[in-house]
Amino acid sequence: MKLRSTSGRLRTAMAGIAVATSLILAIAGCGAGGSSAGPAGKLTVLVEGGGKAELQPIADLYQKQTGTTVELVELPYDGLYDRIQTELGSGKTSFDVAALDAIWLSAFSAGVSPLDDLFTDDVKRDLFPGLVTEAQVGGSYVGMPVWTNSEILYYRTDLFGDPKEKAAFQAKYGYPLVPPTTWKQYQDVAQFFTRDTNGDGQTDLYGTDVKGAVETEWLATVSQTGEKTMVLDPKSGDVTIDDADHLAALNFYTSLLPYAPPGAAQLDWAGSQNLFYQGKLAMMRFWGHAYTQTPANAAVKGKIGVAPMIAGPGGIAGVPGAWYLSVPKATDKQAEAKKFVAFAYEHNDLSIKTSLGLVSRISAFESQAGVAGHENYPAILTTLKSPATIARPATSKWQQIVTSVLTPMLQKAVVKGADNAALLKQAKAQIQAIVK
Amino acid sequence: MNGLETRRRPTRIILWAALAAVLVLYGFPFVYLLLTSFKTPLDAIAVPPQVLPSQWTLDNYVAALSKEGVVPALINSVATAVLSTAFSLALGVPAAYAITRFRTPSGRIFVVAALVTRMVPTIAVGAPLVETMRRLGISDTTIGLAIAHTTISLPLSIWLMSSFFEAVPIELEEAAKVDGSDRLQAFRHVVLPVVSGGLAVTAIFAFLASWNEFLFALLLTSVRAQTTPIVIANFQTQFGLDWGGMTALSAVYSVPVILLTLALQRHIVAGLTLGAVKG
Repeated sequence: MKLRSTSGRLRTAMAGIAVATSLILAIAGCGAGGSSAGPAGKLTVLVEGGGKAELQPIADLYQKQTGTTVELVELPYDGLYDRIQTELGSGKTSFDVAALDAIWLSAFSAGVSPLDDLFTDDVKRDLFPGLVTEAQVGGSYVGMPVWTNSEILYYRTDLFGDPKEKAAFQAKYGYPLVPPTTWKQYQDVAQFFTRDTNGDGQTDLYGTDVKGAVETEWLATVSQTGEKTMVLDPKSGDVTIDDADHLAALNFYTSLLPYAPPGAAQLDWAGSQNLFYQGKLAMMRFWGHAYTQTPANAAVKGKIGVAPMIAGPGGIAGVPGAWYLSVPKATDKQAEAKKFVAFAYEHNDLSIKTSLGLVSRISAFESQAGVAGHENYPAILTTLKSPATIARPATSKWQQIVTSVLTPMLQKAVVKGADNAALLKQAKAQIQAIVK
Repeated sequence: MNGLETRRRPTRIILWAALAAVLVLYGFPFVYLLLTSFKTPLDAIAVPPQVLPSQWTLDNYVAALSKEGVVPALINSVATAVLSTAFSLALGVPAAYAITRFRTPSGRIFVVAALVTRMVPTIAVGAPLVETMRRLGISDTTIGLAIAHTTISLPLSIWLMSSFFEAVPIELEEAAKVDGSDRLQAFRHVVLPVVSGGLAVTAIFAFLASWNEFLFALLLTSVRAQTTPIVIANFQTQFGLDWGGMTALSAVYSVPVILLTLALQRHIVAGLTLGAVKG
């Protein structure tokens, strides 16, 4: 009797599952994410989550003007790399255009179509030199810059504008307190603002931060020395990371440790940003897009000023953080895909109004000169136009070099008593082993 | 008796302390995730981290659930997981039954071979699956992803169900046959009800395997069939990590699994016990 009752319940449950499965099978043919327009009259563009907003207005206008649907497929950063690598490797792609991070261009260059015909003299003149260099891999242009970023200098206007602070700084250093433009000024200002503000014997305001868990800021410092071969020369294979300029950059970078919060080895972008928003830093070097994204409850809301990245002996320099639109060789829609890439370049200024507000053309940056809310544009523009600003090396091993050599090396360098020269020599040997 | 109780008390205290420590170890990350989902953006990335929000807010839930693609992704996750579970049970239960009841050499090879598929890195089969799905015309569909997920859960289902069928005495089926049932009827009316706890355990494992799966969802879906793990991962971008949105959606995504586990708790415990004792 009990057995029969259990069997009955099981039968009912199975019937329920069968009905549910049937319903699900009915929708399973497509999924709930909406129907696609079909292969004809449609372009699929792979884009990283943070960049989708940048492309959306361009995709909308393209669809309006041409009738071709542009489907933006949003994927997480690491996932986008894996997806593109898998599909390019399989020889067939589900996408017609992909937005690629600058550091991926070399790794994927063999699988994407040359865009040389799009890089006319006019186009090249309207792009930052570092981006034009970066877009070219193996003699061909493999991606069209669609937006770019750069680190710039953030500072507290309430501190820099305070008459008492100005007078005290002038008296101590013999020159006016202004947003620093050189390494020396940056060190002075960082030292000046590092203090205990509430008299409890603990330092609670630091002049700057030192990031040990990310490498890009140190690479910008390398460029500020005037170095023209950042880390290695991809063509010859020569590794330059232990030369005098790299050492000078690392020495300056770590010289700021006394004026930075403890825990530099673990400090990354998010941690640095938070320290600044909490009012614990007087200055921060950070990506330009963040200027418009200060949280409402940040202690420094409304008290943030921006300036170009500081200059070393070689001049102002940052690291271009550009993304490029590329067309996979495997797509059947070569002409249409290239047309969209050209359209995206042509209407690059549409991205100004997006949440990140990042563009790639010099003219698009310049169009917002003096416009309130875009004070970060002149700072980005100056930094990226500077001759000392150079792109990261075009090597397919770059990601590996960063994760297995550069970041661990920096984490060791920001520890008190580190031997910078020895660390750079060790890094050289590791990189040589990777690229040989 | 009292003396025995007194002697046991220190042991019990140690055991309870160990249990509490394990609970904290396992539970704290989830509790921290839940608390973070109620924090403001600044609290979420505070240095040093703070456990409790200084200001409680539901803004993260509103923002996460109103984000484009979130609701369709939740529907896709449910559909994919249910389908994959159904496929896994439909294929795994008969396979396990045949393996345990017929005990042929090929059956033994099959069951070991099924386990071998669990040893192959998922990424290794990812690329061929992308191409296969495309050729079949089921790329970026829920059914395609469910089939892919079944390749993950099926070996586990076969192994789990095999252990449950092992525990059912053959005499039960023989008694049913004496009463006039054929093998299929005995299987449906006698064996399956006895292993219903095992079915529940297997179903929940298959469901969870699909529910949490990331790599196949990343490689095989684009827009139409994208599942929630991909959408959650999208909160981490090149420009930073939206902790509030990510934790809010993660909390929402955890609810069905928690409810399912609670609902099937009795079956799971019964099933695990059944599987642990051989007949």
